[in-house]
Amino acid sequence: MTDSQSDARYFRSVVNEIEAEAQRRTASGEYPRALLRSLDEEFRRWIPDASLENGVEDTIRGIEAAAYLDVAVPVDSRNPLGRFVKWFVRRLTYFYHRHVAQQITALGIHVTRPLRLLNASLRSLDRRLCELEDRLDVGATTRSELLAGIATFPIATDFREPLSGHLLGAPGRVLLGDHVDADLLQFLRAGGVDVYGVTPSAGEHQIADVRHEGLIEHLGHLEDESLGGFVLCGLTDKASLNEQLRALRLLLLRSKPGSAVAVIVVHSETWSTRLGPVAADLFDGRPLHPETWNHLLLREHAVGVTAIESLDGTSTLITATLP
Amino acid sequence: MISVHQLVPTISPRDAVGNHTLALRKVLRDLGFESEIFSMFRHPDLMTETHYVDRLPGDAAAVIYQMSIGSPIAERWARHPGKKIANYHNITPLSLIGKWDGLLAAEVQLGRDQMARYAAICDHAICDSDFNKAELDALGYQSTETLPVLFDISDANADKSTLTRLRRSRHGTQVLFVGRIAPNKGHHDLVAAVRTLRDLYQDDAHLHIVGTDGPPGYRRVVDTIVAHAGMRDHVTFHGSVTQEELVAHYQAADVFCCLSDHEGFCVPIIEAMHHGLPVVAYDCTAIGATVDGGGLLLREKSPLTVASALHRVNKDEHLTGRLKRAGRRRAIDFNRPGTEALFRDRLLPLIESA
Repeated sequence: MTDSQSDARYFRSVVNEIEAEAQRRTASGEYPRALLRSLDEEFRRWIPDASLENGVEDTIRGIEAAAYLDVAVPVDSRNPLGRFVKWFVRRLTYFYHRHVAQQITALGIHVTRPLRLLNASLRSLDRRLCELEDRLDVGATTRSELLAGIATFPIATDFREPLSGHLLGAPGRVLLGDHVDADLLQFLRAGGVDVYGVTPSAGEHQIADVRHEGLIEHLGHLEDESLGGFVLCGLTDKASLNEQLRALRLLLLRSKPGSAVAVIVVHSETWSTRLGPVAADLFDGRPLHPETWNHLLLREHAVGVTAIESLDGTSTLITATLP
Repeated sequence: MISVHQLVPTISPRDAVGNHTLALRKVLRDLGFESEIFSMFRHPDLMTETHYVDRLPGDAAAVIYQMSIGSPIAERWARHPGKKIANYHNITPLSLIGKWDGLLAAEVQLGRDQMARYAAICDHAICDSDFNKAELDALGYQSTETLPVLFDISDANADKSTLTRLRRSRHGTQVLFVGRIAPNKGHHDLVAAVRTLRDLYQDDAHLHIVGTDGPPGYRRVVDTIVAHAGMRDHVTFHGSVTQEELVAHYQAADVFCCLSDHEGFCVPIIEAMHHGLPVVAYDCTAIGATVDGGGLLLREKSPLTVASALHRVNKDEHLTGRLKRAGRRRAIDFNRPGTEALFRDRLLPLIESA
């Protein structure tokens, strides 16, 4: 064993000891729980609601700063003569540049006035939008807290063969997201499917060819008809109805005609049993039934819609081809 | 003479991408190519040795674009008839900074869009880390590889007055972090961790933060948290420092702690290792690969876990010794002659095939 390997092994064992100590102290309440909670609350309290909060204001400040032109043009040069010539030209044209600069500064001031009015309107709009969002989805914070503690449902291994067969020959790259099962990804690649993963989960980032970001955010970057197919999973077990429908709509937009598509969904009963009544209530009855996904794909005129139940009866794979 | 030029949105002598771009120009010139740097925003110190973007010649055999933020100049690279090589340093995800800095968010969004669009036209992409490479591979870039970022691990002498000042005022564990004060760097987590260290282990610990301010809103929040945690006397923001002052910080500290949520590489980790400073880092994005056995990698960054790790590193001499040795060994992988040689070996055939 080399020094590097020996050190790496030793450091891992130290980290295990550190984590065990942290857990022990957590269990015994031997840490400043109230203080840490208040620090966390303080941080959350100050996270801006949206980029509008700073964006327009910063832009206006930027324009105001840029509008005050510095007429002292840099005179640095590679040779001393060049420096002298530049300095001389600057002195010679100073009156002219100063006159132009004053007019540009005046223009800048006039431009920022309406922008400030616009900024005030946007802030007001933003506040009203936040209030509206709160009314529409009061449980969003509770759900996101619950989500953090819920492990992703594993993808049934008996889905691998039918998925590979279905995706082989897809007319382009296939997206797997937002739960990336490393073994499934390898299996599909070994079967000749050109597939890549997208997941927001930090634990899955070491797998090759996996993008570490939200599925909807990733789809926002893609061109229309750039995908040859997709496997939608993970998000189907935990996202809100609106998020699920939005992801599907974006996936359909980004897929070429003839794309091979698939959705993996855990059965509602399995989901409720696994997570218990609190999560079931607060998650508002998600995930969707396989029949609903069938319906949504048929509504898009997908052909060959097929549903396969896993051997343990906990989830369903729905495959289809886009027109 | 064959021309291989570089295009970079902003060039500055005191940032990682700027230093890398300047170092790469030297490598290209050593290989016998004519090589210049073209940029839209140039630091005053670099005015005479760089050029404004509109002077980029159309007959260059290859153009290397330093990709780290969105910029309209990327379109010049995309339309250039020469071989198009991207050097990807990572773009912070919008989700981590979007709410804090509207202007930066717009640039980041543009950068991510450009990155996706250029998959089809980029001939080859060089990435700082496997994490960055995976991002481009997932977007469908056809030819990618990982080559280390070029930077000088400074052997500059420590600034004596800074070193004396830091050593004179030390009591408990001196924790150091070097990086821009931005939400993805997790400064608020560092404050909570050091506060816990002080409480739990009766350690008169002090947090030293070196780096320029990022989004003003975030800096205000960190200041609020420092005040709320009663840490005003135990956290020092040193701002931007000279190379000599930075070396003094590395020499005076007991442990380097990085709790970033997103890093495309993280040069300060390697610098800390080079200066024999034990490293404790939260394992996420490219951090694990950068540390690579040269430090303690934490799987989570609750204040309690981080505080326990910092305490252990400071009190366990055997562990500290091994961390210092392992760190120095890891830092050797990034010594300038070695990394320059890697670039030379890879760039020559790549450009000759153009």
